[in-house]
Amino acid sequence: MSVIAQYMTQDHRACDESFANMENAVNDENWDEAEKLFNSFASDLLYHFDMEEEVMFPAFEARSASAHCNPTPVMIMEHAQMREALKQMKEDLDAKNKDHFFGLSESLMMTMQQHNMKEEQMMYPMVDQAMESENAMLLEQMKAFERRS
Amino acid sequence: MFQGLSTDQAPPISVPFRFFMMAPIFGMLISWMMLSFSPSEIFNRYSPITIGLVHLFTLGILAQMIMGALQQMLPVLAGAVIKKPILFASIVHTSLNLGTLALSAGFILSSKTYLSIGATLLGISFALFLFTIIRLLFKVKYLTSTVNTMKIFSLAAIITILLGLYLVGQHIGGNINEYHYLIVNSHIAFGMFGFAIILIMGVSFQVIPMFYVAKDFPKFVQNKYARVLLGMLVLYAIFSILALDTYLIKLIFSAIIISFAYYALYSLNNRRRNVFDVTLWYWKFSLYSLIVAMIIYALDDKSNDIVLIIIFSFGFLFALLQGMVYKIIPFLAWFHLSSKGHFNIPTLRDFIVQDNIKIQFFIYLSSVSVFILSAVINQDFIYIGAILFFVSNLFLLINFIIASIKFYKIYKIDPMSMYK
Repeated sequence: MSVIAQYMTQDHRACDESFANMENAVNDENWDEAEKLFNSFASDLLYHFDMEEEVMFPAFEARSASAHCNPTPVMIMEHAQMREALKQMKEDLDAKNKDHFFGLSESLMMTMQQHNMKEEQMMYPMVDQAMESENAMLLEQMKAFERRS
Repeated sequence: MFQGLSTDQAPPISVPFRFFMMAPIFGMLISWMMLSFSPSEIFNRYSPITIGLVHLFTLGILAQMIMGALQQMLPVLAGAVIKKPILFASIVHTSLNLGTLALSAGFILSSKTYLSIGATLLGISFALFLFTIIRLLFKVKYLTSTVNTMKIFSLAAIITILLGLYLVGQHIGGNINEYHYLIVNSHIAFGMFGFAIILIMGVSFQVIPMFYVAKDFPKFVQNKYARVLLGMLVLYAIFSILALDTYLIKLIFSAIIISFAYYALYSLNNRRRNVFDVTLWYWKFSLYSLIVAMIIYALDDKSNDIVLIIIFSFGFLFALLQGMVYKIIPFLAWFHLSSKGHFNIPTLRDFIVQDNIKIQFFIYLSSVSVFILSAVINQDFIYIGAILFFVSNLFLLINFIIASIKFYKIYKIDPMSMYK
């Protein structure tokens, strides 16, 4: 069973949803609501990265990855790009700079989507395969990781 | 081996850009040709000038943009990387462009030498390109509907090219027999429905949800449509050669393609991301044009051929490709800079300003409208259409160039130097 792929793919969709809601609030210039939704989106996204970086990737690397066939450094680099975009969006939100915000949110959205595609089509199936019957246990460990924000 | 879109694994930005930049140049060349010849020659679909013009479009614009986009997309879609990307792109790009010019010149000037040069160069370009992407596609471990559709596309592309080469061979040998036009029909059908539509389907399955946070296409559309189309194409070719009635097959083509356009529009109209995005205008205009084109196709009236060609090529294909590339270029520019470690980067909307895209869209839309008028009301309208088409392509090129200049200005700076 590909439990990790299923769960994490669902989490991507949840992040998309929370991203779209946040953008819509900014679009309506409903700033209080936008800030609330932004914080909730940022928290979801960063938690997703944490589950991967702190739990899933180390477990996968310990199990399977050889130096020439390890996708995790690329994934981590893209997480860093998205964290940076998120930080700048927060500044725009505080300054109520709608145009610049949408320029950035679009960059973030495209990065997120192509990143999700790679994870859903390659990374997660590889993890499920490498972990074999222990994948359900790994997923529980990921879910047990504490939210930092 | 795993590969993804990061600067050390994706091809350098100059690889897709060199293909995208050439498309509007061919657009301008087409306008210039339209202004140089009499409308009566252009409106005859069998005249050598029209054949030349059609290939300037199908190879110089359509194949060009598809090849550029695929070299960029394969690493993301298929986890597959092309080795020596710059060398590969240079050979494919140079032989495609010179081959297209030579082939079209061969038709327009009735020169067998040019036809031979064109066919050889195009043969090299497509053989290398298709061989490489097929090798990569068949290595993909985790199959998606896009990867499967791309495989079917590459098969349809091979058939289109082989039929095309055979037809050029007949032109060069001066051996135009009664079968020639039957093969021409199959070449066109494979080009329109195999090469163009199947590819656009495969790309749309990924790109519409990705660019617009929109719904996925229904599973049966993703899994079945391309296969059914390919099957129908083979049937169509056999029926044509046996001189059997193909009307029913044409109806099936229309039904499948219209329903694809419907699902694509449904997905776009119900997207979760409600923020205004000008590239949606291109997609919607394109998909509505596709529906109109397929209705005209189903009516099967030869007197509508030219209107059909205009709506299918310019209304549907070129509009969709422009909408797609307007998304890809700013994203790649941003992504490459961000991967290189730059923080202070223009946003996606700064690389190509939305207002400039809007103006270009309206000029493009009016050129297509005037072309339709020229086919329906008065052929002389083609001169106005050609001028508008020229301006819209010039504008497109300028939008691309401005984005590249903004990119390279920052790219040549070492991000670390800002901290010294």
